[in-house]
Parts: sequence; structure tokens; C-alpha cells
Amino acid sequence: MARAGREAAYRELIRRYERPIFALLFRMVRDRELAEDLAQETFIKALNAIESYRPEFKFSSWIFKIANNAAIDHLRRRELDTLSLDGSPHAATPEAMQATALQIGARQESPLDAVEARELGGAIEAAIGRLRPEYRSCILLRHVEGRAYEEIAEILDLPLGTVKTYIHRARNELRQSLAHLREE
Amino acid sequence: MSPVSGPHLTPDDLDAWLAGALAPAALEHLAACPACRERAETEGEIVSLIAALPLVSPAAGFADRVMTRVAVVQPLRVRTIDLIRQRVFASRRSLAFAASLLVLVAGSMAGSIAWTLGHQETLAALGGWLTAQAGQAVWLGVRGVASNFIEQPWFAGFKDLAASPGRLGFATALALVAYLSGVLALRRLLALPTPRVAHASA
Repeated sequence: MARAGREAAYRELIRRYERPIFALLFRMVRDRELAEDLAQETFIKALNAIESYRPEFKFSSWIFKIANNAAIDHLRRRELDTLSLDGSPHAATPEAMQATALQIGARQESPLDAVEARELGGAIEAAIGRLRPEYRSCILLRHVEGRAYEEIAEILDLPLGTVKTYIHRARNELRQSLAHLREE
Repeated sequence: MSPVSGPHLTPDDLDAWLAGALAPAALEHLAACPACRERAETEGEIVSLIAALPLVSPAAGFADRVMTRVAVVQPLRVRTIDLIRQRVFASRRSLAFAASLLVLVAGSMAGSIAWTLGHQETLAALGGWLTAQAGQAVWLGVRGVASNFIEQPWFAGFKDLAASPGRLGFATALALVAYLSGVLALRRLLALPTPRVAHASA
């Protein structure tokens, strides 16, 4: 019975964090299949080591730290520079392209809006993809996940000032990358 | 338009503006400075664009795939209770043994409590005797230390020093200064280094 309760608790943790962890990893590595593998690795690592989790820290900080380390380790092993909204740059077949494509949520109102949003979304995704991985983690945790600077510093094991610097530099780089959109 | 007042907005000010918590003086500057306003508006647009990125989720069945590779381990406390329960209820013999053990422990405890309540005077006498013995041992120890102290070769010099209040005061002050210097030196040695924080400006 205790075992069943524990399994239910694990599933609840997965349910609660699968989307933010997957979203962070997906935008870090820009490959759907790979992001899913890394997300699985993150949860398996976290849940198998749950005894070592210290409750004085936030669980979200702990699991984001594991996920970020997984992404950074992967990016160090393999460099990815290109972003394709149509799917993974490593997909060999059209089916694989479709399977790895970024799935846009239903935020659009009309086909024209959809195209516009897709272009804008694509531009910002591409611009984020061109950032240094450290800047990317910071900006995603801050502005996509809405984490506080202090929590980001804890997740990334960086001093608070460095986190602020990275986020400001990232926003500067994004501003420059997206300047053409403002001019249009 | 009012003249531009105060310094341009810092990155921290821009953060505060994005969070809707910019100080009134900086807000006044922002209203009058086109460069800062343009910068703030651009940052606001970028942040909105990032926040509006499409939601992405892993494929269905993600939790099941994870759970196939996760070992659901019970905490030690739960495992121990489970193990005891399994052993106790394994056979009639083990159940009888556990019950006897429980009766023995509970009986001893109850007996001990009953005896204590019935023999309070004996216990008080025993307590008094133990206290007297402990006091005697302490007194013997103090006497031993004192005689050892008196027999030391430097005791005569110490006695002379104590005989003159002026010299005793000087020696005490000297010892106090030495002690405080030692404490200060130790504090400096044991103080944690202040962490260096990078400058927050872009």
C-alpha cells in the first residue's frame, strides 16, 4: 500500500513538472526527440535519487538543476546551431521531421494571425537558439518559467550578479537579433 | 515635454520597470527620456514575446515511460516496519513469540512503575546517599587540585604577586589584553571570505 502511495506520488511529480522540464530542455537542445530523452533521464535520475533530495530547497529548483545539467552536458558534447520549426535538423525522413516538429499551442485566432504568430514565434525561438547556452538557460528560466533571480542562481550554481548580467546580455542580444522585426 | 531628469535607467531599473516596480524618480526620468523609453518598450516587447512562446509538452505516455525505469524504493522506516510485520505474521510460532516478548516488555515496565510508586521512601534514601557520595568525590577532587597547585615551584611568585593589589591588577589587565588579542586573531582567521558578486550591468 505504501509502495502504491509512493508510485502515485512519483506520478504526481512527473505530471506537475513534465511540461516545464520538457519545455526548458526542448528550447535548450532544439530537438523534440532528444528533449524527450533528456527529460526522461532527468526524471529517472531525480526519482531514483529522491532520498538525497534535501527538503530545505525547492523541489522545482532541484529538478530544474538536474535538467539544466543534462542539457548543458549534451550541448557540450554536441553543438547545435540551427533551429527548425519544421522539425529536428537530424531527422532523416519527412515523417521524422513531422514527429520532431515544434507543436504550436492553440493561441491563434485566425489563419493570418497563425502565420504571423508562427513567424514571430519562429524568430524569437531562433534568436533564443543563437544565444550562448548559459544565457539561454537564464532567459528561459526567467521569462518562460517565471523563476526568481535567486532561484535561477540556485539552479545554475551561479552568483546572483552573474545571473542578472546573463539575463541583461541575453535580452540585449535578443533585441539586436529581432531589430529587423521592429523595423518592418 | 519636461526636461530629462536624473541618470539613465540601469539594467536593474529596467527589471524593476518590467516588474511594475520602478521608483518614482526613475519613472519621471523614463517619461522624459526618449532613449530610455524606447529601450524599456523594446525590452517589454521582447519579454512579452518570450512569455508568449507556444506551450510544448512531451508525447503522451511520458510518465509511464519514466516509471518503467524508476525503482520505487520505500524509506528505511517503512521498510523496517514492513519487515517486522512480515516476520511477526509469518507463522503462528513467530506470532506467539512476538506476543510473549510484548507481554514481557509491557509487564516489566508495569512492574517497574508499580514498585517505584510503592517504595518512594527507599528511592529517596538511595537518592540522598548518591548525592552525598558525589559531593564527597567532588570535594576530594578540588582538594587534590589545590594541593597540587600549592606544591608547584612558581606558586611562591604567584603568592607575592597576589599580595600586591597594583601588581595583581597589572597582571590581570595584561592577561586580558593577551586573551582579547587571541580572540580577535582567531576571528580573523576563521572569518568566511566575502563572496565576489559580478557587476549586474550589461
